[in-house]
Amino acid sequence: MSEVILMTHVLFGVACLLTTVWVFVDVLNASPANQRRIRRLSVLAAGFMWLAFVVAGYWYAVDYQADKAIILKGPWPFAHNFFMETKEHLVIMLLLLVTYLPIAAASNLAANRDARRVVLTVAALIIGLALLMEGDGAMIAMGVKVGLLAR
Amino acid sequence: MKSPKAKVENLGLSPGTRGFGAALALASVVNGLLVVAKETSPRIQAGMKQITGHHWITHSTLIVALFLLAGWYWSRANGGTGIRLTPRQLLVTLIAGVSLGGLIILGFYLRGD
Repeated sequence: MSEVILMTHVLFGVACLLTTVWVFVDVLNASPANQRRIRRLSVLAAGFMWLAFVVAGYWYAVDYQADKAIILKGPWPFAHNFFMETKEHLVIMLLLLVTYLPIAAASNLAANRDARRVVLTVAALIIGLALLMEGDGAMIAMGVKVGLLAR
Repeated sequence: MKSPKAKVENLGLSPGTRGFGAALALASVVNGLLVVAKETSPRIQAGMKQITGHHWITHSTLIVALFLLAGWYWSRANGGTGIRLTPRQLLVTLIAGVSLGGLIILGFYLRGD
């Protein structure tokens, strides 16, 4: 069950990332025709991120202790000491950014260049931070793997 | 004299965009500072753990609450017109806040590892 929860959070995280990329591309081509879609996708991205966050939070608070012990006894303790520690706190900023996305996207993006710039900046920050989170997750998983292999 | 198109392209930002944008910058920096505070003070970390059962849950809840409250307040500041920030000032504040918050966290754990 723990693995299902873990992979569910990855699934929602990737869904948030892909949806935000879609928002970014749509905003580059913003027009009255795609405005409603941009707003809906922004809300969808926020929804995916909140689901990823809640699921990951549950897993972190309930199931992570066993993995943490394996990592810390293994050859890659930095997988927890650096990668997990930074991930669990940077992800809060990611959550705020994605929550802000629909607020910024509620403006008239087709007509308002400044609003488009804000949405593009926020979407770019989300994409960069989400990729960093994916990388951190890979390092943590690898930390568990090398910890188990070293036993 | 500006062309009609330039006028349409210069509508400014909504109070919500400005208010919650500034709140995002503030919450990002506070997020980083709270990491340093709880990791360097066992008393603070124990207190945070006591509130919800896990320091990270308390941490997340506090930062999200700060974002929502500050955003709500700044969106309604100045008689409902919102916090006064030009689009450029908002972008600089947003990027600086998120970058600083991120660098505090990365720097702290890089130094500690």
